[in-house]
Amino acid sequence: MSVISDTLDVTPKSRGPWATALRRLLRDQAAVAALVVFIVIVVFCLLAPAYAYWAGTDPFKSTLDAVIKLNGQDVPVMEQSTEGLGLGYTPIGPTWQLGNYFLGADNQGRDVMARLLYGGLNSLFIAGMATVVTLFFATLIGLAAGFFGGIIDTLLSRFLDILWAFPVYLLAISLSIVLIAQGLNLGIITIESGSLWLPIFIIGVVYVPYVARPVRGQVLALRESEFVLAAIGLGVPSHRILLRDILPNVSTTLIVFVPIMMALNMITESALSFLSIGVQPPDASWGTIIQDGQTLLYTRPMVALAPGIAIVITVLALNVLGDGLRDALDPRSKIRIGRS
Amino acid sequence: MRKWMLAGAAALALAFTAVVPAQAEYQAEHRGGTMRLVARSAAGTLDPQINYTLQYWQIYQSVYSGLTGFKKGAGEEGFEVVPNLAEELPAVTNDGKTYTFKVRKGIKFSDGRDVTIKDVVASFQRIFKVSSPTSGGFYSVIVGADKCIATPATCTLEGGVTGDEAASTVTINLTRADPEFLFKLAVPHASILPADAPATDAGSVPIPGTGPYFFSAYDPNKGLTMSRNPNFKVWSEAAMPDGYPDVVQYDFGLTDEAEVTAVMNGEADWMFDQPPTDRLSEIGTKFKDQVYINTLTAWWYAPMNTRLAPFDNLKARQAVNFAIDRKALVNLFGGPVLAAPVCQVLPPGFPAHAPYCPYTKDPGEKWSAPDIERAKQLVEESGTKGQKVTVIVEDTAVSKSIGVYLQSVLKEIGYDAELKPISPNIQFTYIQNTNNKVQISVSQWYQDYPAASNFLNVLFGCSSFTEGSDSSINIAGFCDEKVEAKMKEAFTLAATDQAAANKIWTEVDKMVTDAAPAAPLFTPKHIDFVSKRLGNFQFNAQFYWMVTQSWVQ
Amino acid sequence: MVYALLQRLGQMLFVMFGISVLVFLIFFATPGADPAARIAGRNASPEVLEAVRKSFGFDQPFYVQYLTMMKKIFITGDLTSFVNRGWKVVPAVLDTVPVTLSLVIGAAVLWVVFALIIGIVAAATRGSWIDKTLMVLGLIGISMPVYWLGEMLNLITQSRYHDTWMFSWVPPLGYKNFSDDPKGWFLTLVIPWITLSILYIGLYGRVLRAAIVESLQEDYIRTARAKGLSETRILLRHALRTSLVAFVTLFGLDFGALVGGSALLTEVVFGLQGVGKLTYDALLNLDLPIIMTTVLYASFFVVMANAVVDVLYMLIDPRVRTA
Repeated sequence: MSVISDTLDVTPKSRGPWATALRRLLRDQAAVAALVVFIVIVVFCLLAPAYAYWAGTDPFKSTLDAVIKLNGQDVPVMEQSTEGLGLGYTPIGPTWQLGNYFLGADNQGRDVMARLLYGGLNSLFIAGMATVVTLFFATLIGLAAGFFGGIIDTLLSRFLDILWAFPVYLLAISLSIVLIAQGLNLGIITIESGSLWLPIFIIGVVYVPYVARPVRGQVLALRESEFVLAAIGLGVPSHRILLRDILPNVSTTLIVFVPIMMALNMITESALSFLSIGVQPPDASWGTIIQDGQTLLYTRPMVALAPGIAIVITVLALNVLGDGLRDALDPRSKIRIGRS
Repeated sequence: MRKWMLAGAAALALAFTAVVPAQAEYQAEHRGGTMRLVARSAAGTLDPQINYTLQYWQIYQSVYSGLTGFKKGAGEEGFEVVPNLAEELPAVTNDGKTYTFKVRKGIKFSDGRDVTIKDVVASFQRIFKVSSPTSGGFYSVIVGADKCIATPATCTLEGGVTGDEAASTVTINLTRADPEFLFKLAVPHASILPADAPATDAGSVPIPGTGPYFFSAYDPNKGLTMSRNPNFKVWSEAAMPDGYPDVVQYDFGLTDEAEVTAVMNGEADWMFDQPPTDRLSEIGTKFKDQVYINTLTAWWYAPMNTRLAPFDNLKARQAVNFAIDRKALVNLFGGPVLAAPVCQVLPPGFPAHAPYCPYTKDPGEKWSAPDIERAKQLVEESGTKGQKVTVIVEDTAVSKSIGVYLQSVLKEIGYDAELKPISPNIQFTYIQNTNNKVQISVSQWYQDYPAASNFLNVLFGCSSFTEGSDSSINIAGFCDEKVEAKMKEAFTLAATDQAAANKIWTEVDKMVTDAAPAAPLFTPKHIDFVSKRLGNFQFNAQFYWMVTQSWVQ
Repeated sequence: MVYALLQRLGQMLFVMFGISVLVFLIFFATPGADPAARIAGRNASPEVLEAVRKSFGFDQPFYVQYLTMMKKIFITGDLTSFVNRGWKVVPAVLDTVPVTLSLVIGAAVLWVVFALIIGIVAAATRGSWIDKTLMVLGLIGISMPVYWLGEMLNLITQSRYHDTWMFSWVPPLGYKNFSDDPKGWFLTLVIPWITLSILYIGLYGRVLRAAIVESLQEDYIRTARAKGLSETRILLRHALRTSLVAFVTLFGLDFGALVGGSALLTEVVFGLQGVGKLTYDALLNLDLPIIMTTVLYASFFVVMANAVVDVLYMLIDPRVRTA
């Protein structure tokens, strides 16, 4: 008697869905490695001011006549060509000495390594904040359109259609060209033209349809689910239903989107900065440094190579992390990475 | 004018010299072949009476003719005015107000028709009908021009330009004596075109001309083709010599890096754009026999808005002048071989230029080093320290790097400086419009023709300033009574005594430099990088490289 | 069916209208974009400016300007550029289409072939190191900014190793007409094709692999296996077919976007005067007529591709048809 009831009484403790997901994620070696790489990159970039201080360089000041000590000799950072017709000035190449123009100088005599770290800060910041902007607006729109349906859905969906049919890069470039020149003035919010919030806002807005559509689709499906129908039937106010029932179910999709959007945003931001309509000088971002490197491509390729590699590694890590998150949280999800 | 505007170059060339040294002989064995030129983009309309860019003025020289022309010789010979469609330079009567030209007979347009007096008169009317950019600035001195500017569509220039078919003469009456008038007749805006040329901007449809070549094809996105004019016969070696290549193919769309590679590989014979600085040392060493460097009369400068804080304060403007390390800027441009620092308005080698440099460590005649301490002190004294300043530059490699440097310097002397690069296509109009509240920018000016007024009056005269207009070339908004009076004095004196007038212009130069409405930066040299096969490269001070005077085989 | 098609058409028109208004609004308020001064030329006197302004109708209210421009694009077809006056915009845009098509179709062929190979091989060897390597390579392909990749390839082929046997055939940048010089046309496009396709090979390889693996778990595959069909046959004839649905729909969308001008960065880096480069130049020049025309053209293709894909989906997948 007691033996049977003892065994029957034991029910395995079920873990909540979040805990299960976390376990699944931690078992995915690739995803964990990617997360570690990403965190390491972030930490390095956060140390940018410290590195600049230690190296004794100001990566935002043009130092065309700077002189550094290399192997005991005084070497000017910008060397004049003395052969042939004596045309042109070339910055020094990588010295491979930490703290002493490790990756060489750019065409304003600035330390590329220090700028790379500061640039990473900006790139990561913009990508992250733009992701927040996108997710915020996309959730709002997706929830409203999917839940309320009717004319609200039609209006919002048409608006999303228009925004989405406008090729992403063209829209971003158009907005940037206009806003970078004069800043944004929406009455209550004013963003000055040199601020980082402009590219954040632009990149964030441009990708809203990308997230809003899947969210809307999910909300539409959820709305027909039994527990939601029950809640509506019981007379629970809409905002309660949205917050308590629908939003938590949508949250897995949103979480999966975070690293994916960050990766996309990093590439978009670097493309905009490369075209000179993203981050403005003398602020650096990995895209602007690639652009600086364009004019030095044939003589000092490291200036263009280093930030590109940095982008590839970071985006790769984010993509792998995104894959892992998706597998852990929502393996049946149709969300694919890298679509723009 | 600006970089894409015709570059004039210095050297005083009095308009009336008629000495014609021996022209180089035409070497028929080099005739033929297709010359290939490359540029980043087209340069606007193909209409010679409207286009105001160096890129196209350089090729108009072998397609269109005016009554007078600049001599097609090497170097400063290019400043001489020689008769072109006119048989000889006219005698000027009526106190310098009436010019009578005898027009040559037997000259044909590229479509086979003869050039008649009717065409000449119609061409002058057309300048106003199509609202040429210089119709007000250059040609308003013609009698009847004021009516034409007010109502261009019905322009007749009555009393101003009259033709006599029988005598084959054209008479031009001016409202006042203008010693620069023969120059003005030699620029493409005064080209003689067929009378039935459209009364509006011809845009990308070529108009027939009288030169040795005509435009046989034009696509602003892809390129331009010049072919031999079958109806051309040489009437003046000095003004319109025959050309060597059979076809000139001018392609658009490559980046400047790609252009350099194309010339290096022999795929192109010449590139219009300045080679990017990172290729310069390669060009200057491996390809030094294919490089030509020539002096220009031009300057890069940073106009400061004298009507807006903080640069409405003289001390602030002087501080900027003292702080700029012009040597660093020269390096950013490509090194001392390609540019030299300047501290005054008139460039070296220019008429009325007398070396003067107050903004350096030891003020005197030449610039030596920046004086940061003095600059910081001036900023303190001016009371403008810590104010926000935005530098507006063109978004090209060189301009942007200069802008980044300027911002750094402004920060150093105490301002809260920001940089805004803007697309080169709109930057120039943007910085002129006072509505945009531009405090400081970077710009260039190349001369339209060799006269001191072209720098001092055009850039710093009160009449060149218009509020709220995209076309207010006095970007600094500088307007000083004393300076205006002196300039007027120089103008009136020039009608009789050019040398004395130049002395006054030198004074004006000093006055304007001291008032510091702009920060002079440097004077550039022009670099031409050509292919191996290109021969007989000749640089003309007015037109730069004379395209069709070189050969490719 | 007809009603659905008409509905789609109406949607398309509405979207294009919305986009044209959006573009016009965006560019209307830019400072320094007053075309009158740029058209009139430097140092033009105020009277000249006024005359130019009137002749172009810049003094009219915005909606009049917008309607005039729409009329010129669609009805009379004589819309001319603000920057290069007299240059008809619509033929100019159409002129650049062959360049973009050359780039995009070539890249598409490359990426479809390689994505198929990679996807199938990875699915066939799923779980092995071949699979893992291919997927990682694909990920790297997705993670590289396309313009940076182009610049690096340029560096290698044009400069550093240009003189070696491997890359001496690479011609200088720029497009050559197929009709003038077929060999040159091909050679100039090889490196751009590779650049553009790497991103998509990575993407589509991964998508295909995931789709195949998923469909291999379906019931009908188990039936086929039970029937004794070989793995290869199952993979290629059954699983692949269903996975191709996802592949084709994605391909349609991406291809449509690319033809419309999304290959902008590749065209700029390699100096190919396609629709993307034309749009980019026009954006820098704030040449509104060209911008409007190219954006309308681009969105037309995107919307068309969307519609075609939807219809194809309806036709291919019988389950959707009856829904």
